[in-house]
Amino acid sequence: MENNYDDDFIGEIVVNEVNFVRKCISAESSQDDLWGKLICTNFKVSFIPQDAPSKQKSKLSHLLLGEHDIPLTCLEQVVTVNDTKGKKKVLGSNQKLKFNPTELILYCKDLRIIRFCFDEAGPESAKKVCLAIAHYSHPADIQLLFGFEYQGRRYHESKGERVNGSTPRGGLQTPIFDRPSDWDREIKRTGASEWRVCAINENYAISQSLPEYIVVPVSLADQDLKQYSIFYTDQRIPLWCWNHVNGSALVRMANINDPLQQKKIDQRVFTAITKSHPQRGEVVRSDLDKCLPNIQDIQSAFVKIRQICVIDPFEESEERWLTSVENSRWLEFVRAFLKHSAEMVYYLDGKNSSVVLQEGEDRDLSCVVSSLVQLMLDPHYRSLVGFQSLVQKEWVMAGHRFLDRCNHLKKNDKEESPLFMLFLDCVWQMMNQYPAAFEFTETYLTVLSDSMWIPLFSTFLFNSPKQRAQYLMDFAKNKAIPQGEDQVVYFPPVWNWSQQLSTKDQTLFNNPMYVGKGAACVQNGEVKTFRRTKKTYSSTMRGTSASQRNGLKGGEEPLPRRGSLLSELKPDFSPVKDESPIERFFRDWFSRPADQQGVLIPLLLPSHVALWKLFFLRWVPEACIPKGGPITAYHKLSQLVDEIEILQSKLRQYKGPSSGSTPLPSPSAPLPDQRRMYFKASSPSDSPTPPDYLSSSFPFTPVGNLCRRGIHGTPISKFLNGARIWLSTETLANDTV
Amino acid sequence: MASPISVYNSNALDTHISSTSRESLKMELLADVSLLPGEDRIIDKDIIYICPFNGAVKGKVLITNYRLYFKSSDADVAVMLDVPLGAISRVEKMGGASSRGENSYGLDITCKDMRNLRFALKQEGHSRRDIFELLFKYAFPLSHSLPLFAYVTQEKYEESGWNIYKPMEEFRRQGLPNNKWRITFINKNYELCDTYPTVLAVPFKSKDEDLRRVAAFRSRGRIPVLSWIHRENQAVIVRCSQPLVGMSGKRNKDDERYLDMIREANDTPKLTIYDARPNVNAVANKATGGGYEGDEYQNAELIFLDIQNIHVMRESLKKLKDIVYPNVEESHWLSSLESTHWLEHVKLVLSGAIQVADKVSSGNSVVVHCSDGWDRTAQLTSLAMLMLDSHYRTLRGFQVLIEKEWISFGHKFASRIGHGDKNHADQDRSPIFVQFIDCVWQMTKQFPTAFEFNERLLLTILDHLYSCRFGTFLYNCENARDQHEVRSKAVSLWSLVNSKMDIYLNPFYTPESGRVLYPVASMRHLELWVTYYIRWNPRIQQQQQSPVEQRYKELLALRDEYLKKLEELQLSDSSPSSRLANSSTPNTSSTSSTPSQQYTHLQTPL
Repeated sequence: MENNYDDDFIGEIVVNEVNFVRKCISAESSQDDLWGKLICTNFKVSFIPQDAPSKQKSKLSHLLLGEHDIPLTCLEQVVTVNDTKGKKKVLGSNQKLKFNPTELILYCKDLRIIRFCFDEAGPESAKKVCLAIAHYSHPADIQLLFGFEYQGRRYHESKGERVNGSTPRGGLQTPIFDRPSDWDREIKRTGASEWRVCAINENYAISQSLPEYIVVPVSLADQDLKQYSIFYTDQRIPLWCWNHVNGSALVRMANINDPLQQKKIDQRVFTAITKSHPQRGEVVRSDLDKCLPNIQDIQSAFVKIRQICVIDPFEESEERWLTSVENSRWLEFVRAFLKHSAEMVYYLDGKNSSVVLQEGEDRDLSCVVSSLVQLMLDPHYRSLVGFQSLVQKEWVMAGHRFLDRCNHLKKNDKEESPLFMLFLDCVWQMMNQYPAAFEFTETYLTVLSDSMWIPLFSTFLFNSPKQRAQYLMDFAKNKAIPQGEDQVVYFPPVWNWSQQLSTKDQTLFNNPMYVGKGAACVQNGEVKTFRRTKKTYSSTMRGTSASQRNGLKGGEEPLPRRGSLLSELKPDFSPVKDESPIERFFRDWFSRPADQQGVLIPLLLPSHVALWKLFFLRWVPEACIPKGGPITAYHKLSQLVDEIEILQSKLRQYKGPSSGSTPLPSPSAPLPDQRRMYFKASSPSDSPTPPDYLSSSFPFTPVGNLCRRGIHGTPISKFLNGARIWLSTETLANDTV
Repeated sequence: MASPISVYNSNALDTHISSTSRESLKMELLADVSLLPGEDRIIDKDIIYICPFNGAVKGKVLITNYRLYFKSSDADVAVMLDVPLGAISRVEKMGGASSRGENSYGLDITCKDMRNLRFALKQEGHSRRDIFELLFKYAFPLSHSLPLFAYVTQEKYEESGWNIYKPMEEFRRQGLPNNKWRITFINKNYELCDTYPTVLAVPFKSKDEDLRRVAAFRSRGRIPVLSWIHRENQAVIVRCSQPLVGMSGKRNKDDERYLDMIREANDTPKLTIYDARPNVNAVANKATGGGYEGDEYQNAELIFLDIQNIHVMRESLKKLKDIVYPNVEESHWLSSLESTHWLEHVKLVLSGAIQVADKVSSGNSVVVHCSDGWDRTAQLTSLAMLMLDSHYRTLRGFQVLIEKEWISFGHKFASRIGHGDKNHADQDRSPIFVQFIDCVWQMTKQFPTAFEFNERLLLTILDHLYSCRFGTFLYNCENARDQHEVRSKAVSLWSLVNSKMDIYLNPFYTPESGRVLYPVASMRHLELWVTYYIRWNPRIQQQQQSPVEQRYKELLALRDEYLKKLEELQLSDSSPSSRLANSSTPNTSSTSSTPSQQYTHLQTPL
């Protein structure tokens, strides 16, 4: 498929194309630029170089997208420039262009900036392609997103390959939470015996944004719930998320609209939650709207951090880099969400309290906080499948408005907000601090974030399960897909990674350092010891403040001094007299070595919240460290783990014939494509040094992916702040020798 | 000690168990202090430690001729302090006999290693008088005509670290002398230059009288001499001090000819002179008789690297301390960090060294100087050499680099650190060497597999930069070291390091002999070295060992365990049907370290 949609990428239609286009490869000189054809299809912007592409080993090869392809959904802004006239225009849909563009600059949602020059191309055709790209990247309707075309065709064309009744969900291991059994399993896994699956929202009878099946306290009858639902925004009754082994539960809910009813409903719901706690633990409510940044703040922070990372000229932004990062507020927000989530961990784990996350609509901030809390408390979610089920449960099914927040239709900029991105960044911060605790890598997180901009998967396309069901029903009707066929089959979620990547490339998701517990700690329906065994702090806990009781005091804030959890350390040398229980909890936790399979709390000192370089700087040529960066350690780790796995399989094989009478059916050594590590153990003949294609951007490459305008000098200019001489070019060329 | 508690000791300082002084310590609390051979108790006392993190903590303090040791008596707040007296820069009395308020009477101790300590005592009966006086005396022995602890200690090691650097051996390793460069002993009695080493490499063509005439024109006689030569292209790094140009713009033909000889040695059209200072500073130095090479130096170009002087660096680190100790600045962390300019200085030093390395690796010889050629010059030459020569990236090679470019070439450790000296406000003190180690750390972060040593070595070096337990960093120059017989009377830090090398080895190390390492000197990548500058904060205590390194060592141990098992199976089971194992075991000896950690909790998800 690479570089070539001529082999009938199913359902894809060429809209417009232009020849003799120059794709800029580096901002400094045009000598590496590529000549070729620029094409706009109903799926992507594509560039086909004249000369056969040099096979770059350093890149992930995407199965659906070539090296020079950009899905239309990934376009943030389409800018045309006429250099001679000094004109520039940002193009939308159905627009006119009064000048012939000499240049097209595509600003992408995945932070790439790609430039094409039309100096040798026919001016009219160039203009047409630009207009087509602008038009097709602003679809009037969700059904015009290419996934609808693609998945319909794919369904029918692959029909012959499907055997009736076999692996109903394409062998997908990730639970989708669209059926009661997925919830039942989660209830059992977490030991939430006082909670039940409730079907009152079947066919979305109650709420437009809740999933069909939700989990509620056993003490609440369907009738009660129906009655209460009318008071909640969008009828979103409280939604169970997760249970701690100590019995406390994590619950999320929307605001109650009627202030007169609020107290009464709160009381009943909270009483029910308390009843579902084996020790009748108190309930703590956290009003997220009051203590966390709102979606507009988050969007504007993201716009700023993107600006300084990829748009501002590199050298000029060096001097005030740290202040610029601070002013963007992105890291501040990342820290705020982590901090708030850590506080919730204190209530659930340290105080045996149930926690209710409350937010206006319960569809944005709650998604971030509830998933982070679970990630900190439950090692299951730090496995790959567990993580994907978490996203499915707390984002997709809980009704996060992916369509609006991603702004796929580019209709309403006000609704756009990178909450999911913020969540991924928070996960990265945890991963950065506890590198052995996650089964997956930062490459996985980055590829997942990029997948938001490929409109072929149902995961990130819809605002709610209902919207998804509706569109997919229409879609099935239009495409003549038989009723009763599972949506997951005909419009699959992103989780089946072989849709995008080869088996080999998928091994880049595997973290060689991971300390896992194999079968995700389920035994006899009980969660096995994933929390620390010694809980010395609970016995030494000092007094609890009265305001924290039951969270029912007229809806008052139960938490002491929001958002200043760790800043409460007293200033210089003034004796710390009364340490609050929450401080004590964190101090205790940090005084012990972290258990990778236990509760994990991130360090929240501002000095320990870092910029996620792979995500933000992977396209920036000046920031790329050739043959350096954390990937070089990952390379060695992978090789070692691969070697260990070969040894393990040999040992198993050895034990087979000698221990029992029947030989084991397992193969002698893992087959090359079954090996879990991207980098294979080196043989004595190999050089043990990291391969030349490794760089801090790996597996991505800045080459041709970030061309800002009007920057001159050589890439080595990054070395030269305060100095006056360019480095010799010989060294540049010999850099990796 | 029962539970793993927050311990605020400098755990990079290794102590040895001694039985000699143990007897004298009758106090139970202090019974587990491991004293060094030769270390003696001076005083112990009940005291209150005003911990910035836990508040007032009751306990006992023990002061020896080497350390200040504190342990809390309250099991609930278990706090331990173990501070070498050498790390103390200032001791002050806090409050008076009539001071009001709880714990307002006591001692305030400022340390050189980014922390402060405060103790309170009972107000009655001048209870602090003796401890203050003794502490003051033993923390600043040189101000009290007492020997530094390095001269008192009785530590013994099998290998003497003093042998790690032999100038002639190092020159031979570089391929010297050759037909362009000769070794001269002209300075064997420190007569040519009293702050230089005795063995120097100079252009083959230069005569001894040339060297003397050049010495007269270079600040403190620090003439241009070779530090490093590129094996293939023969380009060299030459270091020196500024020329004595002065206000009148004096010229010295001998100096000009001498520099041209350096250029001629590998026959390139131009010699590049890197003046580490900002241009304006170099101009200002003319007023005090110094200056820089002007147009009269033909075939040479001069480049200023804009690195600030020792005073600017000292103030910068002071500002950094203000925002990290005791608490990390919360509200405007990044802009506060930026306003210390510490990372910006690190960036300038690194980018200067990158330019030097790049110039040399492309075949051009360079001369590096600043004013006296013992601060910024040492930073630039040693960092450039670290980039160019993989030998210096090994554990032993790095020791050689420090011995050579810093110790033997007269970085004024005694003045910059103020070993045993009470004059805490001395304007000569400056963290130039700390800054160099920070630059090295930045490089190890960007190239995790390129260095044989780990972060722990860097922390150990910085701890003993102050501790005065070893002779390595004492005195300003070789001349002074000879006079004080430091090599025969004191132990080298490298004796300690090389006696247990494995803890300082980076398991990820992959030797790449020809590789030139160019770090990216950009604010995007430079990080604050939190495990050094913020290590006294109990919140990051548990993360001191790099978790990635830790995990790799565990996996290595697991690999070795499996290999052993497989070998055993092969031995015990010699039936032909099961001889499968020998087939394709991958390279197992790629890493030399064989850690002996437990791997009980170790499970790979299979």
